[in-house]
Amino acid sequence: MLQDLLGALGLASIYLLFALGMSLTWGTIDILNFSHGSIFMFSAFTAHLLIPYVPMGFVGVALVCIVVGALMSLLVQVVAFEQIIKRARNRNTAERQILIGGIGVAIIPLAIAQEVTKSNPFGFIDSGFEVTTWTFMGLRGTNILLITLTAAAALAVGTAMWLRRSRHGLALRSIGVDSEVSAMMGVDRRRLAIVTMAVSGGLAGLAACLFTYTLGAITPESGDTLLIKAFACIILGGVGSTGGVVLGSVLLAVTETVVLTRTSGLWVEAVAFGLIFLVLLVKPSGLFGRKEVRRT
Amino acid sequence: MSDFYAANLVLIQSTFIGILLALSVQVPMRAGVFSFAGAGSYGIGAYVSAILVLKTGMPSLLAILISGIVAMVVGLLLGLLVAHLGGLYLAMATVSFDLIVSVLAINGGDLTGGVTGLFGVLSDVTIFHLIGLALLGIVGVALTERGRVGRRVDAVRDDPELAQSVGISVRRYRLAAFVVSGLLGSVAGSLNSLVRSTISPSDIGFSLIVLALTMIIVGGAQSWKGAVLGAVIFTWLPPLLAGFGQLQHVVYGVIVATAAIFVPGGLYGIYSEARYRRTRAKRKPPQGEAPAHEQALAISVPNGDAGRSA
Repeated sequence: MLQDLLGALGLASIYLLFALGMSLTWGTIDILNFSHGSIFMFSAFTAHLLIPYVPMGFVGVALVCIVVGALMSLLVQVVAFEQIIKRARNRNTAERQILIGGIGVAIIPLAIAQEVTKSNPFGFIDSGFEVTTWTFMGLRGTNILLITLTAAAALAVGTAMWLRRSRHGLALRSIGVDSEVSAMMGVDRRRLAIVTMAVSGGLAGLAACLFTYTLGAITPESGDTLLIKAFACIILGGVGSTGGVVLGSVLLAVTETVVLTRTSGLWVEAVAFGLIFLVLLVKPSGLFGRKEVRRT
Repeated sequence: MSDFYAANLVLIQSTFIGILLALSVQVPMRAGVFSFAGAGSYGIGAYVSAILVLKTGMPSLLAILISGIVAMVVGLLLGLLVAHLGGLYLAMATVSFDLIVSVLAINGGDLTGGVTGLFGVLSDVTIFHLIGLALLGIVGVALTERGRVGRRVDAVRDDPELAQSVGISVRRYRLAAFVVSGLLGSVAGSLNSLVRSTISPSDIGFSLIVLALTMIIVGGAQSWKGAVLGAVIFTWLPPLLAGFGQLQHVVYGVIVATAAIFVPGGLYGIYSEARYRRTRAKRKPPQGEAPAHEQALAISVPNGDAGRSA
């Protein structure tokens, strides 16, 4: 029982790291980035390609993933989303085109990875880091599980503090409330958006690194599944609330673990989709969501 | 000609199925409903008709009809459920709906064949059925884009409040979009499993949503012509891109991404805008109050402006 709970928390941490980046851009600069899954996958893929040539160890792999994720996310922002926003007539069209554009951009890294790996799973073999197991009071776990739990907790708290306390965070939240007034107050929306996207991509990269070490290997398509799950986590907690994402991730992971251990078959995949549906029908603003401030 | 037909039979069949699939996403988009439910209806149609033909030996057309009705009812229920949602939330709710359909297919046991799906669905569907049903779909959708109904749908999309105020039931039109989308998607799915004689959950997953969406992005969501164009392009593009060898999927991705970013109205959008510019240039008065006139025109002719949106 406790063992299952520990596993669920590990899963929740991965969901959280992935969803945190998506929630950050969606809650503040209004970008629901559908290439987040591709960025996630491709950062781990780059590290996978580099490992045979450069001895890196865990920190090196994590750094490569984070940097690649941040750079890709930044590139997507400049090449795709800025152009879309520039051309869109109003907020609704922009929102929709960003979703579509994200799905379009995501095809490219996916295609490259599928081509190189022939759609086989890839991992970090011989990276110079050994996944070891430990036993503590009857509970079994790995060192990567501890790192994942710590990283997720630290980054969730860090992000929340960054948004709440720093000047950057204040400026970001002001864009989320009213982008025109915040522009009048001297907030440089473009620069902030780029920084936010880079942070979000870095989080995706870190999540990819930890996820790949946890599972041993991931497939090029694993980003797509996580994308939907992260969406479930975000709306479950409420868009724009960091605490909400934490709660959403834990709820989703625990529910999935319960379904996985109590039922036969492959129903576990339905949990996220079912939750999305349920939340949208019953309480679209999520459990902690701020009342949506609509900017027209 | 017959050589070409024989060599490309699979692609020719896929073209007509693709057209129906693309229409099932284009119809709601045109009505301002950002719904991907067409992909889920495709899954429903594919499985229901495969099961009917396999288990009861029912004639194909009857199976297509029955699964069409099932998908329409499901579409109506879905439409009622998500009636209060809009924008991204609606899009994601319908994506979840599509994926729930595929999870049901995986977990359906003997009925759906689980992960491996169903095979050996022998049917008497010919290329003429495909052409006929695709034409029926095109004509049906084209009729809703003309005259009074067409203008009402435009109003429901561009300004729901205004539409409501002049007595158009926005709710009814949105629900109708779900039902029509369900029918079109279901027929496409039915035809696919009957023609290919097999269906598996991997055929109706997230990649199907992406495929349907890419057809609409590149073709254009404003008209059935965009949907047809997109379906034709994305059925024939992959084999044409085979010349790029290993790079073909990357080139495919670049095309889709470029279209999504720089050509939001799709190819049809470019065409309708060009036509609008040409007619406007012709109508330009000799001289005098040209700017004011132009402004009035730009407001009164919705087509050019609409080409840039969606």
